[in-house]
Amino acid sequence: MSNATKDPIVRGALAHPDVTRLDDVNRDVLKVLATPGKGWWALFSLASLGLVVFFTSWGWQLYRGIGVTGLNAPVGWGVYITTFVFWVGIAHSGTLISAILFLFRAPWRQAIYRAAEAMTVFAVMTAGLFPLIHVGRLWHAYWLIPYPNSRFLWPNFKSPLVWDVFAITTYFTVSATFFYLGTIPDIAAARDRATGLRKKLYQVISMGWRGTDQQWHHFGKAYIFLAALATPLVLSVHSVVSWDFAVSIVPGWHTTIFAPYFVAGAIYSGVAMVITLVVPIRKVFGLEAYLTTKHFDAMAKLCLLTSMIVGYAYMSEFFMAWYSGEEIERTAFWNRLFGTYWWATWIMLTCNMFVPIMLWFKRVRYSIPALFVISIFVNIGMWFERYVIVVTSLHHEYEPFAWGIYRPSLTEMGILLGSFCWFSFWFLLFTRLLPPIAIQELKEVLPPPMRKQKEAHS
Amino acid sequence: MTDGIKRRDFLKVLGVTGASATLTGCSEPERLLPYVVAPEEITPGVATWYTTVCGGCSAQCGMWVRTREGRAVKVEGNPNHPVSRGGLCSKGHATLQHLYNPDRFHGPMIREGDRLRQGTWDEAEQLLAAQITATGNVMFIGGRMGPSMSNLVDEFVAAVNGTRIEYDAVSDAPLREAARITYGATGLPSYDIANARLLLSFGNDFIETGSSPVAHNKGLAQMSAVDAAGSKGRFVYLGPRLSTTGLNADEWYPIRPGSEAAVALGMAAVIADDAGAAGPYADVLRAYSPAVAAQAAGVSEDSIRELAERFASESPTLAMGPGVGGHHRNATAANIAVMILNHVAGNVGRTVHYDAAVSAAAGAYADMESAVSAMAAGQVGVAIVHGANPAYSMPAASGFVEAFSQAAFKVSFASAMDETAALADLILPDRHFLEAWGDSMPRSDVVALQQPVMQPVPHFDSKSAGDVLLATSVHLGNDFGATTFYDFMRNGHMEMHDDSVGDFETSWRLALRTGAVEHDMGTTAAPSQLQAPEVALSFDAPALDLGGDLTLLVHPSPRFGGGEFSNSPWLQELPDPVSKITWHSWLEMNGTTAEERGIREGDIVRVTSPHGEVEVPVWIYPGIREDAVALAMGGGHTNMGRWANGSGVNALALLPSESEQPSGAMLTLATSVTVTPTGERRRIATIEGSSDQHDRPIAPAVALADLGHVEEAEHDEGHAEFQELQGVGGFVPVPSEGGAATAFPLEGSRHGPYAESHDLPRWAMAIDLDKCTGCSACVTACQAENNVPWVGEEQVMMGRDMNWVRIERYIEHMDATQAGDLDVRMLPMICQHCANAPCEPVCPVFATYHTPEGVNAQIYNRCVGTRYCANNCPYKVRVFNWYRYMDENVPEPMNWQWNPDVTIRTNGIMEKCSFCMQRIRDVENRAALEDGRAINDGEIVPACEQSCPAEAIVFGNIRDENSRVSQVVSSERTYRVLDELLNTQPAVHYLRKVTFHEIASGGHD
Repeated sequence: MSNATKDPIVRGALAHPDVTRLDDVNRDVLKVLATPGKGWWALFSLASLGLVVFFTSWGWQLYRGIGVTGLNAPVGWGVYITTFVFWVGIAHSGTLISAILFLFRAPWRQAIYRAAEAMTVFAVMTAGLFPLIHVGRLWHAYWLIPYPNSRFLWPNFKSPLVWDVFAITTYFTVSATFFYLGTIPDIAAARDRATGLRKKLYQVISMGWRGTDQQWHHFGKAYIFLAALATPLVLSVHSVVSWDFAVSIVPGWHTTIFAPYFVAGAIYSGVAMVITLVVPIRKVFGLEAYLTTKHFDAMAKLCLLTSMIVGYAYMSEFFMAWYSGEEIERTAFWNRLFGTYWWATWIMLTCNMFVPIMLWFKRVRYSIPALFVISIFVNIGMWFERYVIVVTSLHHEYEPFAWGIYRPSLTEMGILLGSFCWFSFWFLLFTRLLPPIAIQELKEVLPPPMRKQKEAHS
Repeated sequence: MTDGIKRRDFLKVLGVTGASATLTGCSEPERLLPYVVAPEEITPGVATWYTTVCGGCSAQCGMWVRTREGRAVKVEGNPNHPVSRGGLCSKGHATLQHLYNPDRFHGPMIREGDRLRQGTWDEAEQLLAAQITATGNVMFIGGRMGPSMSNLVDEFVAAVNGTRIEYDAVSDAPLREAARITYGATGLPSYDIANARLLLSFGNDFIETGSSPVAHNKGLAQMSAVDAAGSKGRFVYLGPRLSTTGLNADEWYPIRPGSEAAVALGMAAVIADDAGAAGPYADVLRAYSPAVAAQAAGVSEDSIRELAERFASESPTLAMGPGVGGHHRNATAANIAVMILNHVAGNVGRTVHYDAAVSAAAGAYADMESAVSAMAAGQVGVAIVHGANPAYSMPAASGFVEAFSQAAFKVSFASAMDETAALADLILPDRHFLEAWGDSMPRSDVVALQQPVMQPVPHFDSKSAGDVLLATSVHLGNDFGATTFYDFMRNGHMEMHDDSVGDFETSWRLALRTGAVEHDMGTTAAPSQLQAPEVALSFDAPALDLGGDLTLLVHPSPRFGGGEFSNSPWLQELPDPVSKITWHSWLEMNGTTAEERGIREGDIVRVTSPHGEVEVPVWIYPGIREDAVALAMGGGHTNMGRWANGSGVNALALLPSESEQPSGAMLTLATSVTVTPTGERRRIATIEGSSDQHDRPIAPAVALADLGHVEEAEHDEGHAEFQELQGVGGFVPVPSEGGAATAFPLEGSRHGPYAESHDLPRWAMAIDLDKCTGCSACVTACQAENNVPWVGEEQVMMGRDMNWVRIERYIEHMDATQAGDLDVRMLPMICQHCANAPCEPVCPVFATYHTPEGVNAQIYNRCVGTRYCANNCPYKVRVFNWYRYMDENVPEPMNWQWNPDVTIRTNGIMEKCSFCMQRIRDVENRAALEDGRAINDGEIVPACEQSCPAEAIVFGNIRDENSRVSQVVSSERTYRVLDELLNTQPAVHYLRKVTFHEIASGGHD
């Protein structure tokens, strides 16, 4: 590519000084795909076991009825919708890092975007299951899809749930395409080294990539086009998800701030999840040379920014509840802080607002263990944020006589846990099958392979 | 055209293959057989109605029964019945579940050693006759029964030289005795509540128990309605605990348990210029000054004096003496004291009548005590129990179980297993009253016929007790002039028939059709003067067995009565009108008392009396005195049926086996108890979230003084905040000025979103909260009509109760420490059928949508179960099928009760009130068939309206200005819940409760 000739320092690239040659990149990254170690197998077995829990719980729910959850009236939505929003949120930073930062030419994204994109695809796959798990009659869920049918009925386009169907399917299609497209040159690189069955597989999915100028040209155009297409989705998908709540009249849901608040929250949780995932990958596969503390510093800064936006949203919600003078709204938010579910709210505030304050310190941002711990806190906090929104708003609504309490059941917990295993299952497979770091983009920042150097080495 | 298949051949082949496909398609072909000869009166799909008499309790209300294809599917109140006049209580509805109770015996049961074997009727009857011949000494213990059955039993018992004991678990014996002593009356007094201007209830829970709860409920609603002159009757409740009846009072005098006599006499002393007005009771009147009464009752002397003055001046007034819950050791005296009060206030003959001879359960417990001692002494050979369950309903201390076992041969007529039948040697399962002939005489001038409405439920080989007695008599060689009970009964009525009014056959048929006949008996000279008591009476506070520091109040349950209704899942799941708790028992305790002892709601406590102990969770209730705790009857069955067993505790375990003198009633208020926490806790199976309205405009009220200018009062008093918000909602721009709405409700919003477009009706409902007593009859009626499942205790605890009607009980003001105003708001919350329904736009699949008739419809088949509609419903009236409740909870043959006009819902779908859409369609279809005539107003009656004894619910087309609903809604008291806040434009209109005290802050303090 044309800019490969530019001085890496001028481009502000973050390649490790130890890596000097394109071969090094291929060697270091593709070794990840070699025969897995015990650690990988242990994790993979754990995830597979979790999948058994996941499908057993879901199967039990289908067999017995949705009553195996702790849901009731008035709390008709609980852990499932919480987890749905959580995973949709996680899915956001992948596209943000790969598409938006690509368009803005933020070079630090190169080392992490492949993992982030994979995370996006798998997180959407996980999130997409939850509406199906949640509905009372799974076997009729396809009625939400508009298609000409013998019932002469369209879905209700006024319903945010129908918007959700479009948002999620669109996002999955675009992010999966984007992810796949960006991987093609690297699959080709892997194909060139692979043998046996694996080689056959790579041959098919690399779609005949040979690295010709013309192919690179088309690739670049397609990539930038898809990046441009994916960018508005980052903003729109979570806005639509937020409208599931904001369009209703439930006190605590019916708020105009929800769309930006949810998007910020999604990026926040997504970046935190990238940190959570990349730290072990870096360690296990010895990719310290590629995933440097500078990358982590950049991600930590993004976390800090979004945590402040989210914190602002929390405060403005409380402020508006008070300022509106509307008693029912006030009661809802008072109840959020000091009611039955006070603990969930305080977990949310602590994890999302107070813990990330530490990111102001450079030492913390450059400490990978510290970042790992903080990212876990943020993940927990963001799950509880959605739990607080969903459950505390519903359990005390307009009609005091109908107030109620919701306690998640074991089945719901099994499915929540299982969803992490479902996600991990795919992610672990990904680390074995596709290069988890973008080889071709890393190579762009290295000095071009001059004939002289090549000769000297050979 | 010789080749190929001809069209006709093709069709033949198609027919054959189609049929074979059908045959092979089902692995187990269902045996559905059509009628060989179709019965004439049955048209498939069209209901047949019969009149009969409710056999549920001693009130004997008139009943209409709807049958479909030969099955009784719904019972309703018969408006032509002179006593109940339409309306039916929850227990009445639930009698259907006793009809289809899967725990009924499948045939006569004969004991062989430890187990019971099913025999034939012939065998059983011969066995009974043989035992009577061999052992003799027959004792017939019978509960309430109709006059013909009673005559038959008398004749039967007389023919075998036996004895007959009348036994009622819940009995008004002290009242009957008091009426006999003071006025020489033969039955219970009848009350004209509707015309009283001031009603005092001295712990009488007349809308729950007593001679006619439905009629009294109606009377109370009529009394408290605001009349044309702008006044309404006032209801004052005097007692230690607020029952459902008490919650409807305008004032509460939380008097000490057992102080009713002192208070009534103290008031009478104020009213009577000279004690001589009390005739033979003059001395008593002199002894009980208001000061003495105040001392005894624990309320101020001024309040008693002031109440007495009002009682005299606001004539006609009415006072009712303590009922079953107040049967203490001086209960007859207390009832006499109240009669003296009525007497000196001049109410006798105006609001209280002693000449009607109201027949209701009033058997003397003392008779049972002697029966027990006779049995214990081995003097009883054959003990026959009919219509009673003394092994459960007598206190354990009575020793009935041990004594009954002493009888040589024990016979039970129970149709399903109960604690007494479990001890019997022979069980002769009686028919349910809907399968059998009978009659009733609720008042001396009313005769009502109970006719079978269907063939006996075929699962159970039952036989009417009357027929069994007649058949046994044949074996014994006796002849009562009839071989069937029907003939016996008809003969009796024929003898009584007065030929001057027409031939017997005509009046018999008329009685069957209308359900009841009124006879002019001529007024038996009602004694106008009080008669002297023949025994010494004490009007002082009764003695209590010392068991602790808290007085125990045991009262009949509004749901289970004395426990005979406990095996009905509808009633088990019906939230108690007071506590809103389902299924299990609870101990009511004042919050102050609980706090002193460190007891929290849900703590399981051990209640110990000198006679026994029970363990029960505490429910904190501000409507009970601090020195008392209360426990309802009806729980703790050990051997009754799958729903009753193990549900709750039996309060009678704490009571002594002792009868009040002179009436011989069982004591219910006889002991004090100790309450000690066990350290365990449990979740209460309640449907209540909060009993506080939190200042929300849900059940507002208006002071009587403010009537006539309700709207001004609201504008003045803190209503501005809602006015402001009206500027923001809905599809129609709200006319506003300076941010405040100028017109609300919006013009035309009553007619729904289709106000302009066409002339279809908009179905609407008006519910008068001033009439609603919270009795919960509508809840069960709706459940029966709409195939609403019950979910069980566990599910209720999780918040999954499914009743379409939720009666919200908000406590505004309740003070158990002094006499004063009482303000409790009852609000039946159903789907509001909003014109701007928040549930509709959020459903992704149009499972809920608006019909052109303004009904918010729910299409069960279309529902996917996202539950978004329920989240977005501000009224929280949508309920979800979390499991296959109907399949899993309803055993054969209870499913025979299902209404074939209403879909059975499966799991995973949402449901809610449909305004009884099937009834709307039924009337519409009928009108269409009758030359497309217009539908008359009032022709469509939803199940809740039909059942409401208070007539608080009116349904109709609100677009028709002359309809009843439009008329009612034009009241200034009309409001719509949360409409001002959310602009939902509901079709259900509520009329504010009218209070005597001032209402602060715009009607919702």
